[in-house]
Amino acid sequence: MATAISIEDLTFTYHGSRRAALRNIRGQIEEGTFVAVMGHGGAGKSTLCCSLNSLVPRFFRGEYQGRVLIKGEEAARRRVAEMSRHVGLVFQDFEAQLFSTNVELEMAFGPENHYLPREEIGRRIERYLRSTGLENLRNREPSSLSGGQKQRLAIGSVLTLEPKVLVMDEPTTDLDPLGRQEVLSVGKSIQEEGRVLLIVDHEPETAVTADQVWLMSNGQLVSKGAPSEILVDVVAMESCGVRTLPTVELFHSLNWPGTPFTVEAAVETIQKHHLAQRVEPKVKAAPSGHLRGFPVLKAEELKYIYPTHRVEALRGVDLNIYEGEFIAILGQNGSGKTTLAKHFNGLLKPNSGRILVQNKSTTEYTHQELARLVGYVFQNPDHQIFARTVADEVGFGLKMRGETPKMIGKRVAETLEVVGLQGYEQKVPFALTKGERQRVAVASVLAAQPRVIILDEPTTGLDYRHQRDMMEMLRRLNQIGHTIIIITHSMWVAAEYAVRTIVMKDGGILSDGPTRAVFGDEARLAEASLCPPSLVRLSNWLGTEALTVEQMVKELKTG
Amino acid sequence: MTIFLYLDRNTWIHRLDPRTKMIGVLVIFCICLCFNHPLHMAAISVGILLIAISGKALLNFWRLRFILFLLIAFSTVTWPFFAKGPTPLWSFGSLHVSQESLLYGIAMGLRLATFVGTGLIFLSTTRNEELTNGLIRMGCPYSIAFALSTALRLVPTFAGAGATIIQAQVSRGLDLQSGNIFSRVRKFIPQAVPLFIYAIRHTNLLAMALESKGFSPESKRTLYYEPCMRVIDYVVLGFLTAIFAILLFARVGLHLGVVIPGRL
Repeated sequence: MATAISIEDLTFTYHGSRRAALRNIRGQIEEGTFVAVMGHGGAGKSTLCCSLNSLVPRFFRGEYQGRVLIKGEEAARRRVAEMSRHVGLVFQDFEAQLFSTNVELEMAFGPENHYLPREEIGRRIERYLRSTGLENLRNREPSSLSGGQKQRLAIGSVLTLEPKVLVMDEPTTDLDPLGRQEVLSVGKSIQEEGRVLLIVDHEPETAVTADQVWLMSNGQLVSKGAPSEILVDVVAMESCGVRTLPTVELFHSLNWPGTPFTVEAAVETIQKHHLAQRVEPKVKAAPSGHLRGFPVLKAEELKYIYPTHRVEALRGVDLNIYEGEFIAILGQNGSGKTTLAKHFNGLLKPNSGRILVQNKSTTEYTHQELARLVGYVFQNPDHQIFARTVADEVGFGLKMRGETPKMIGKRVAETLEVVGLQGYEQKVPFALTKGERQRVAVASVLAAQPRVIILDEPTTGLDYRHQRDMMEMLRRLNQIGHTIIIITHSMWVAAEYAVRTIVMKDGGILSDGPTRAVFGDEARLAEASLCPPSLVRLSNWLGTEALTVEQMVKELKTG
Repeated sequence: MTIFLYLDRNTWIHRLDPRTKMIGVLVIFCICLCFNHPLHMAAISVGILLIAISGKALLNFWRLRFILFLLIAFSTVTWPFFAKGPTPLWSFGSLHVSQESLLYGIAMGLRLATFVGTGLIFLSTTRNEELTNGLIRMGCPYSIAFALSTALRLVPTFAGAGATIIQAQVSRGLDLQSGNIFSRVRKFIPQAVPLFIYAIRHTNLLAMALESKGFSPESKRTLYYEPCMRVIDYVVLGFLTAIFAILLFARVGLHLGVVIPGRL
């Protein structure tokens, strides 16, 4: 097979930076192969993507050494616009990539730029509307589409240029599980058309079906090879800050033979070698409500309709949340998770029904009073960071409340210690990494010492190491008495950290209970188009109580 | 949150060539300048309203009803103090209001509202891309046409981000409801800084996405929705020009529709 991409000793340093973003990258990709690139945040994955269509060094200037050949042509010698015929690039942020007023025109934009005849553009639009499954949405305004549809459109809009190489830089990070599946299956069909597919992703499950996996760390290509070589190397994966496949990790920890990538393979191996006995799951009585004391948050018959959309976002939700709980709210986009959460701190007021915070309706509080009781951390920390120093940023709420500078200084120092940023007071928040900015945002809410903290997608956009750090920090906050509520798309985060899980669908609560029980009912989860993480599926099959690898190792060794 | 003005319908106005619509808007603006008598002006306003109905653009008129109402009210109240007429109506110190100046004020209010209404019909029935393509076909350089339409396009995006930023700041204690004008200005900073940074990031990403899709302003490009002048376009333009000519004659030759001579 012919070589499609050849990277020869590529080193690149961004203008104004001292550290090389890419160091001596060497690699070859054959036609029609699927490459998954993984690595920690700042490992150089995005820079690598951009070097393939000459955004590096044409758009991002810097010191460039080595060569990137696409079909034998040197990328850096070409303008980005010319490279678009050969390499299509899809970014994580689908909002910023779409700017036309309907789906058809969005897909026409690329070929229009290349001065192709109208009939040809029409043919290509038809073809790629079909391959991205958007035929029935051709006249829709892109902003009215769901996340998965938007990202599929972003893919379609580069496919109409018929590039031989399709590069996707974290295409599924901002998507719900359903959107993720949609995008990955489109990716699969593109590969079947004989194109090269290069995907950057944090989830090891994506890499399972790849032909090659590249592991990156600190600008270097640490190792590359078939999934069967790379994904089994638990040590290398961990050193690159990448999550390992839980089934592989489990077999590794128990010294069981084989390295199954999927639950199905794991089940087969267990049966073949009689590694473990299936047991009937123990039926545990759900702890009854009155034992847990007084609800700190209470929703009664809560209904809400967005004035602009006129759809019922919440249709009669009843819910009690008790002091000291750690709750995950799951569900697809548009299921009402965020709408519900925004009611708890009074950003939204119910159309009918009541929401009680410490037994008093949110309508009877002012915004400031509520901010002291219920803190809300938004998904994107950049939506709130504005100050010159971390101390000013974290002390903002206290200052608005008119506290003394001495008191503010003390509280800021305490809060920064809790989030693990001690000594950061005088740093510039904009210059911090994404994970650190996320912590500053949490700290700025935490400084008011609210009893309840709600976090919208606290792990999105962070690499595995930072996701772990963030969740460990939330666990500590929970242990010192804060009630934590997270809204998340990440199933393993919910399974490992939340004690109670609430699943929402179409503006109502589909299931609510201890996390183990909620994840035990796979059929019910499937109704919300969700699926438990693979370890929990295995645990369900075995009839164990475990939600994490460590728990399962312990349970199987003792049991 | 959607504040896009374009309404995806299929009326005869939607199907007109964007160039026809652009020239048509200019001619209607000229027509609005013909009379300064409120009755004559009202007739023109009703005409525009009928066009809005047949273009199914009334929804946007309803959305912007406060702005339209404010325009009429504001100029009805303020114009009478500046325009001078012969028949005194009311005076206080050095302020004089005459019967003519009051009528003139009403006419000006209607005129402003009609200007805005005409623009609104244009934006409700013309896609962003059609506007760009129309401008290109009229000889405007692509880079300028594209910049203009992208600017229009980004307004709702930034408005949406602004709304999220306000919510994020309010939920950590920013109090927007109280305070005098100075403390309110200070409260503006926590909203403006994140929005600026968002805007810079967003446009940078947009630029990357555009280049990756082969955008280069210098080279020739296809227009997928090729604007095309048909019989109806010429009929509409001819009709509007004829009306303008007749009205101009009525004003200049016959002195009709004038409350205060010598003013537009």
